[in-house]
Amino acid sequence: MSAVEPLIRIDHLEKVYPTSSGEIHALSDVSLSIADGEFVAIVGPSGCGKTTLLKILAGLETHTGGTATIAGAPISKPRGDVGMVFQKPVLLPWRTIGQNVLLPLELHRKVGRAEKAAAQNLLEMVGLGDFASKYPKELSGGMQQRAAICRALVHDPAVLLMDEPFGALDAMTRDLLNVEVNRIWRETSKTAVLITHSIPEAVFLAQRVIVMSPRPGRIIDVIDVPFGPTRTLDLLGSPEFADLNARIRSYFEVIA
Amino acid sequence: MTTQTIVTPPTTGQRAIRSRRPSRARMKTIAGSVLLGVVLLAAWQVLPGLTGTPSYVVPALSDVLAALTDPTALPRYISNAGTTLTEVLVGLGIGVAIGLLGGIALAQFRTVYEIVFPYIVAIESIPKVAVAPLFIIWFGFDLPSKIVVVVLLAFFPVLVNTIHGIRGVDRDQIELFEANGASPGQIRMKLLLPAALPSIFSGLELAVANSMIGAIVAEFVGAQHGLGVLILQAQGSMQTAAVFALLIILSALGIVLNTLVRMARRKVVFWA
Repeated sequence: MSAVEPLIRIDHLEKVYPTSSGEIHALSDVSLSIADGEFVAIVGPSGCGKTTLLKILAGLETHTGGTATIAGAPISKPRGDVGMVFQKPVLLPWRTIGQNVLLPLELHRKVGRAEKAAAQNLLEMVGLGDFASKYPKELSGGMQQRAAICRALVHDPAVLLMDEPFGALDAMTRDLLNVEVNRIWRETSKTAVLITHSIPEAVFLAQRVIVMSPRPGRIIDVIDVPFGPTRTLDLLGSPEFADLNARIRSYFEVIA
Repeated sequence: MTTQTIVTPPTTGQRAIRSRRPSRARMKTIAGSVLLGVVLLAAWQVLPGLTGTPSYVVPALSDVLAALTDPTALPRYISNAGTTLTEVLVGLGIGVAIGLLGGIALAQFRTVYEIVFPYIVAIESIPKVAVAPLFIIWFGFDLPSKIVVVVLLAFFPVLVNTIHGIRGVDRDQIELFEANGASPGQIRMKLLLPAALPSIFSGLELAVANSMIGAIVAEFVGAQHGLGVLILQAQGSMQTAAVFALLIILSALGIVLNTLVRMARRKVVFWA
């Protein structure tokens, strides 16, 4: 064990769902520690329980065995210091972009000038400075997902959870947003957990890539990504990047 | 009404502006509608005379307009329209309130919903118009019996549409609120109700149309005031032109109410 206690600690985690056609074993003996400020990506085939794992971290789902803690405290319900980005932007159409970004704050305290300024700063950080008073339907899909990232960060959470955040976007927008997520992560020094089915996206963004097996989901490998914290699009063309991708992909070829 | 999806390049960040000015094609259809109306009205004026139809069967348009603007009848029209409108508005108000609150309660408590819903459907399948005589026995010939009929006809579409609206809320949106630690009350007020508003307004439009039917039928069954009573009286004395005049007043009331609801919808549910 290292000297510094990890921020997120998952020990022998189990998740079994009861369904009408019997039990589904979603997660099996998952153990993982994530350090403060680390960026971890979890890849795996559909139905490997990676989204379940994220929802357990978000406090949206319970687990049936093992332990999961953030900053030493067991996760039993949603915590205030976690920000979540979903597969879809999930912006409320009756609220402006600014009001959408402020939602997590508004649920817990009065929103005043300081809060609005914080939201505006975040929007400016992702290039949406002029869009605070626009409604979601006036924005493209990529812009909406940027706003959703702002919403996940507005209450300055320690942990940022992302559940296949760019799966619905076209490849070019996706690449640009990945560069942006890398920059946001460096600038805000959040602990980030990314769920993705895109191996290049995982390698591009993460410091460690967790590879999961099909159901029951278990960790079959943890791969350290040797690139520095700053990632640029040049990386996508490098041989090291390709090698790492191939190495991770080999797991799924064997399985499939 | 359809909302167009306008694709804008994300790089320019241009806001898509929908033009408020009707297009050339739209102008053409409007002109067509007006023309059709003029033709129909002209036929109404000319055809009864040409075909020798007696005025007590189908009166000419001019006879109907004369009956509508008859200065001796006008005060009666206005005061009785006031009675009918009162029944409609009070009944609608109560019915919408019951439908809305009941819908919110039923949508959130699944067990209660499952226990109660078969009975609501059963009640709904009774032709409520047929129950009107019973309400006369229970609530008398005055306003209350009419209001009860209107309430009965108005609450159901609001109830059903409120339930549908709330239960149709995107699962992801609920998770967003839960992940951010929202209380049930916050989820109700900041998510479920606004998200259900488009559906609730659809229910409201149906409720308005139903309320007019309810009020008139209740007046037919037994009343001393109201446009329904005037229609029966005019029919009894073979004043067919007056019947048509009263139908025009009724239609006008219906159109005004419907337009008000639709205007409110556009204002309140601006995003849908």
